[in-house]
Amino acid sequence: MFVYEKKLQYPVNIKQPNPKLAKLIISQYGGPDGELGASLRYLSQRYSVPYPEVKAVLTDIGVEELGHLEMIGTIVYQLTKNLSVEEIKAAGLDQYFVDHTTGIYPAAATGVPYSAASMQVKGDIIADIHEDLAAEQKARVTYDNILRMCDDPDVLDPIRFLREREIVHYQRFGEALRLVTDKLDSRNFYAFNPEFDK
Amino acid sequence: MSEREKLLRKLSAVEFAAHELHVYLDTHPNDKSAGAAVRKYDEQCRKLQIEYQSKFGPLTPSEDGSRWAWIADPWPWNNEEG
Repeated sequence: MFVYEKKLQYPVNIKQPNPKLAKLIISQYGGPDGELGASLRYLSQRYSVPYPEVKAVLTDIGVEELGHLEMIGTIVYQLTKNLSVEEIKAAGLDQYFVDHTTGIYPAAATGVPYSAASMQVKGDIIADIHEDLAAEQKARVTYDNILRMCDDPDVLDPIRFLREREIVHYQRFGEALRLVTDKLDSRNFYAFNPEFDK
Repeated sequence: MSEREKLLRKLSAVEFAAHELHVYLDTHPNDKSAGAAVRKYDEQCRKLQIEYQSKFGPLTPSEDGSRWAWIADPWPWNNEEG
């Protein structure tokens, strides 16, 4: 069960529209290393996990990622508000516009729609946590790349917040991996899969 | 910055501190000082939520109050200009 809170995790208040920047940042909405994929990955991986601490980490971080998805949607929405058709054409947003107007659609910066093919639920906690550690680093790199392309302090501030969350989540997943390996056979972590073998 | 936005930022800061400790405690359930800190922030958070909701309307759909207060703008993606 989920309860919606009518607020963002961290404030977003962008005064200057910037459709070129919106075209890049939308990748964190529906791109391969974006917040939708992050949320879906963790909230799906958690079911077959036998360890309570890891269920808690995947649930709490997966829910936070939904909050980040909302922050990215808000950033893209505010960057594309009150645009003229001329501004849309000049920014190269016309190809997006023809399909979605200025609605917020989960796609990568290249225009490829969100695909669950960019994530995995392996049903083996060691494999899944390694994917999660990599996912946090890939999202961190995407935010670093966005920061290189941006000079508006109203955008930089929430993007820096989101970048820092990737680093903290990476830390928590590292601790979760440690908890898991502590429970396995120290001579052979892969002797059995605790999500399948009894 | 409006009064609403100021209070929302104050609430968000405390809520964030509580959330950060909460996730930390998932992997460090025996850390007593973090446990005490999360209780302190949760308490502050509850007080600020009550203050915010009494002044500016509900944060969650379960709150009492007029139906319109939940429906009404601003929604989180609306900035101050609307």
